[in-house]
Amino acid sequence: MNTTANAAEELAAFKKLAQGIAQLASAAPPVDLPAAERVTRAKHVFIQKIDAQVALDLESCLHCGMCAEACHFYEGTGQGRYAPIHKLKLLRKVYRRELGPFRLVHRLLTRDLTAAELEQWQELVFDSCTECGRCDMICPVGVHLSRGVHITRQALAAAGLAPAELRALDAEQKRTGAIFGAGVELLRSALDTLRAQGIQAPLDKPRADYLVLTTAPDLLIYRSSIAATARIMNHLGVDWTFASNAFEAANSGALSGDEAAQRQATQRIVDAALACGAKFVVVPECGHAYPALRWEGPNAIGRDFPFEVLAISELLGREIDSGRLRLKPLAPGKRVTFHDPCKLGRKGGVFDEPRKALAALGVELRETASKGTTNYCCGGGAGVFLIGRAAPLRAAAFRIKRDQFDATGAESVVTSCQSCRMSFAAGAQQNNWNVPVESLVELVANNLAAPETTRGPTT
Amino acid sequence: MTLLDFARGPAMFWAMTIMVIGIVWRLAGAVLLARRRDRSVPRGDNRLVAGLRAVAMRSVPPHELEKSITFQHITGYAWHLGWFATLLFFAPHIPFLKSILGFGWPGLPNQAIVLLAAVTLAILVALLVRRMIHPVLKVISDFDDYVSSLLACAPLVTGIVTYAHLFADRHETMIGLHILSVEALMVWLPFGKIFHCITGLPLRFQIGATYARRGVKA
Repeated sequence: MNTTANAAEELAAFKKLAQGIAQLASAAPPVDLPAAERVTRAKHVFIQKIDAQVALDLESCLHCGMCAEACHFYEGTGQGRYAPIHKLKLLRKVYRRELGPFRLVHRLLTRDLTAAELEQWQELVFDSCTECGRCDMICPVGVHLSRGVHITRQALAAAGLAPAELRALDAEQKRTGAIFGAGVELLRSALDTLRAQGIQAPLDKPRADYLVLTTAPDLLIYRSSIAATARIMNHLGVDWTFASNAFEAANSGALSGDEAAQRQATQRIVDAALACGAKFVVVPECGHAYPALRWEGPNAIGRDFPFEVLAISELLGREIDSGRLRLKPLAPGKRVTFHDPCKLGRKGGVFDEPRKALAALGVELRETASKGTTNYCCGGGAGVFLIGRAAPLRAAAFRIKRDQFDATGAESVVTSCQSCRMSFAAGAQQNNWNVPVESLVELVANNLAAPETTRGPTT
Repeated sequence: MTLLDFARGPAMFWAMTIMVIGIVWRLAGAVLLARRRDRSVPRGDNRLVAGLRAVAMRSVPPHELEKSITFQHITGYAWHLGWFATLLFFAPHIPFLKSILGFGWPGLPNQAIVLLAAVTLAILVALLVRRMIHPVLKVISDFDDYVSSLLACAPLVTGIVTYAHLFADRHETMIGLHILSVEALMVWLPFGKIFHCITGLPLRFQIGATYARRGVKA
């Protein structure tokens, strides 16, 4: 398929998924909890999550407001309530009244947490925070703000106050293991299409060194990314497989704060990896899925992993270093910029590997003014893309990102996260912005230097 | 007992006692909470170096975020330096500090210190006004912020008034008030945000080490 036809098909599929996302809230299971019960559940989570590290955060804030200057939602709107430290107010209140060294005084002088406050904070910790961690980089005393926001999300989720869109996603993933209706039949159909194209795409091999995951946006919109992943794995000549009982990398619970959903999604992947004896689990271009499995996964299920978790962009960089991944340089002079997905970069530590791939492709990399640890988020991370009422906030964040992209003079933006791609696609539609946003994996797969080979039987 | 005697005697003793016990109590209350084991495999093992790097680098963020916070940084450094220079290098303070520490040092000319104190006070007042009108600061500020600001200003105000002999007939009383204003700050230290002078550097280390687990320089 030529590139233009591919792009048109992807756009049509994106619009269809966007319509589905708009209906997501109506599919959310109802939550009928008395106000007092909401408060009790939220306080229980806050108390459970506050440890010595969190306490030190909460004892040290200067109220200088510098964190706001790093937040795209504050920068985009100018509204002080979006200051990251303000989002930690409920966490600090519970700490001071329930656990802090002066709790007896605070109980006398301050009011207890209320259900109204919890409802009010939904917009602050879900709609207007992507947990991108940029604020963590600026705080002069080093308060870990994004961690505090995530704890507040978990408290709100326990109180039944995660946004309806995220609750619907949790319910679907708990029920089926999939999201957006992208179930195993869709995976089989996608893999059949690859095989018809002569691309080996193993499914459910009993033993494999690499368990490769995919994600609903790949299955529903960016199918060429699945083909690209398969071609790269074949090119490397490694023993790999998809698993029909654990193919979805996305972890809705890691977004909504629903710990049961997060644990279940993690366990599904771990069980599949153990069953096939995988030494590596490869996470696709799905930003949050990487830290959810790589960094939070062992803690979510309470056991160490006997395998290594790799983001696909991380694998690319490693295999370029090892010499197994050989690429053809693109036509000289192609100017691209790279968008570091927050969850892979700042929250994952994957900065150099995708740049190694771009260097191997011979492109002229034009970095944005904010890059690496201070890169701006796409505006839709951590589930914000799914929250309908957050659209104006996403638009404000997108404009910052767009201006930075445009200033580089790059012909295209390359990234390694389908959620970021969808956020940019939505922003591009609203702003008539027509700079192409490309997948790193597709770019690499389209420029493999040697014929593809595979090892082991395929099913 | 005169006000000056009270300030130099029992007030100083109790201010010091409350400050020390309060710091120990607050710090212990936070750091003795449980710690979680992180089961994820760290990327590299440079957490000690990364923590120390964060302790140093958070003082001078070298990246592009600096341009957004230049005003806070410059004024923040300016008033802290001015405040401590006034405390440490005003000639009449040095014998008092020597009586506690057992050693002294040369002071700066009085006129220079008074000018420094006045500039420091002006910055503190400007920051206080900014706190009341800035879209972020007015949302996040609470009782602690205003009390801490006023208590940081108080020793400068009482010191300048005393030095200028504005109430020449009550000079000893003014010195007493000046010392009491410092003692008020000492008493407030364990309870308000000034406590960051105790926790700030350890917290910088903590975030540097935390992000280093993931291979990120924070």
